[in-house]
Amino acid sequence: MNPMIDDETLDRQLREAAPYIDDDGFTARVMARLPAARREPRWLRATILLGLATLGSGIAYVLSGGFIREGLIQLSNFPIWLLLVFAFGCGLVVGAFAVIFAIRKTPEVRDFTRLPF
Amino acid sequence: MELSDADLIARVLADDDQHAFGELVRRHQSTVRGLLRQLTRTDVSLADDLAQETFIRAYKNIRSFRSEARFSTWLYRIAYNRFREDARKRKELVGVDEELLQTEHDPQTVDPCLRHDLMHALNLLPLHERTAVVLCCQNGLSHDEAARVLDIPLGTVKTNVLRGREKLKRTLAAWGPN
Repeated sequence: MNPMIDDETLDRQLREAAPYIDDDGFTARVMARLPAARREPRWLRATILLGLATLGSGIAYVLSGGFIREGLIQLSNFPIWLLLVFAFGCGLVVGAFAVIFAIRKTPEVRDFTRLPF
Repeated sequence: MELSDADLIARVLADDDQHAFGELVRRHQSTVRGLLRQLTRTDVSLADDLAQETFIRAYKNIRSFRSEARFSTWLYRIAYNRFREDARKRKELVGVDEELLQTEHDPQTVDPCLRHDLMHALNLLPLHERTAVVLCCQNGLSHDEAARVLDIPLGTVKTNVLRGREKLKRTLAAWGPN
């Protein structure tokens, strides 16, 4: 009787004995049976966020007892260049957050090491 | 540039991107179907039905996937659980394997082809040893990963792999080392 084969040879033969199974329409059959993609929660989430923001702003305005209105009037007395600088600064901050969010949501950009350059 | 499994899963989670999930199915269908064919003893039709249900269950539960494990390991676990549920229904899990294993087989008279003999010998192993051998030796999972897939202690996996290997070696002894 021949000596027994070793573990490594056995594992290699097992791997080689397992053929690659062609897709042959399998993926298409799975995809046809998947439940419909969930779209509603994103709509619902956006509506809730917008509603809460509006409600919060309204409550804050009412509770401020005219403080916000006075603030807006005072703001209108500021020089126009200062308001422009303030608006530009706000735009930069919001833009920076938008870029960070976009990077986090985009796998191709998230991992810079895998970019082809 | 090919996206990693993690990237595709992130797309499924963020946007319910079914194309991304389709790519995951395409990548893993061969190994999942192969595993189930081994478990069902090459019943191709049943194995493919179970594989389809495995992927559908994976899609429905993808939010419960923890990225510390490999996606393939998670899929194997779902596939194995789905197989066990089906086997329980069919009452095929009890007894049969051990009886089959006692039958004497001469690999050279069964088939002259080593590959055929190897798969035949594999099919003669009891289910728990066959599963452990297929996962660890054929699909390259670590003992620890296989223990998580099968939901059994690490020591049991090691024992099953060891016994399965020994039985395969004994069955294939006539071929000798390559």
